[in-house]
Amino acid sequence: MTEQQQARKATVTTPSDWEIHIEREFDAPRDLVFATFTDPALIPEWWDPTTVVDEMVVRPGGSSRFVILGEDGTEETAFRGTYREIAPPERLVQTFEWEGLPGHVHVETARGSARFSSSTASRTATVSSAPGWRRA
Amino acid sequence: MVQYVPVDRTFSALADPTRRAVLERLGRGSATLTELAEPFGISVTGMKKHVRVLEEAELVATEKVGRVRRCTLGRRRLEDVEEWIGTYRRMLDERLDRFEEVLERQKGVPQ
Repeated sequence: MTEQQQARKATVTTPSDWEIHIEREFDAPRDLVFATFTDPALIPEWWDPTTVVDEMVVRPGGSSRFVILGEDGTEETAFRGTYREIAPPERLVQTFEWEGLPGHVHVETARGSARFSSSTASRTATVSSAPGWRRA
Repeated sequence: MVQYVPVDRTFSALADPTRRAVLERLGRGSATLTELAEPFGISVTGMKKHVRVLEEAELVATEKVGRVRRCTLGRRRLEDVEEWIGTYRRMLDERLDRFEEVLERQKGVPQ
C-alpha cells in the first residue's frame, strides 16, 4: 500500500463507550460532498453494492429505508431511519435502525468542515454479532 | 461474503471486569486459582467459575499440578476478536472508497 492510499483511510476513534467517530478527508468542495452524501440515486453506488433505496426523503422529519438484497435478489435485511437535521454543507443528523434489531437506534451526525466526518452514537452501546449484520 | 469467526463466547467471557483483570494478570505470568482469587477478594470457588468461562473461550488454559490448578493464557488470545472487528473496518473503508469514486465522478457533473 502506498503512503497516499494509507493517508486516505478513515480514522476511527471511540470518544466514549457509546460513540464511534469516523473521519475521512475527501478532496472535494463541501457542497459536493454533502450533495453526493444525500443523493438517493447515488446511494446504491457507495453504501453497499446490493442496496436498494426504498425511501429517502431528505428533509427534517423525513424517512429513509435502505434494503440490502441477498445473493438470490430477495430482501435480506433493511435499515430505516429519520432525518433530524439538515444544514448543508455543514451538518446532517439522521437515525439508523436495523430492522433485525428494532429499538436499537443509533444517531449519525455527519459534519462537513474542512473535513467531512461522521459520528455514530448509540444509546444502547450494543454490538451484536447476530446474523443479519452479515452483508455480501 | 464476510467470514464469521466464533466470537460470541469470547465476548461473553470478556464482558466481566474480573475476568478481564484475570487476563491482564495472566499476561504477566501463570498463577494458581488461589493467587488469582486473593487480590480480588473473592473465594477460590468464585474464581474457579470465572476461570472456567475463560477456559471455555480458550482464552485461558489450566493444568492441575499436584493439588493446585495452574492457569496460563490460552492459545486463542484475542486474534478472533481482532479479525471480527477487522471485517467491519474493511467494510467501512471499502464503503468510503466507493463514496470517493462517486464523488470524483460527480465533480464533472453540473450541480
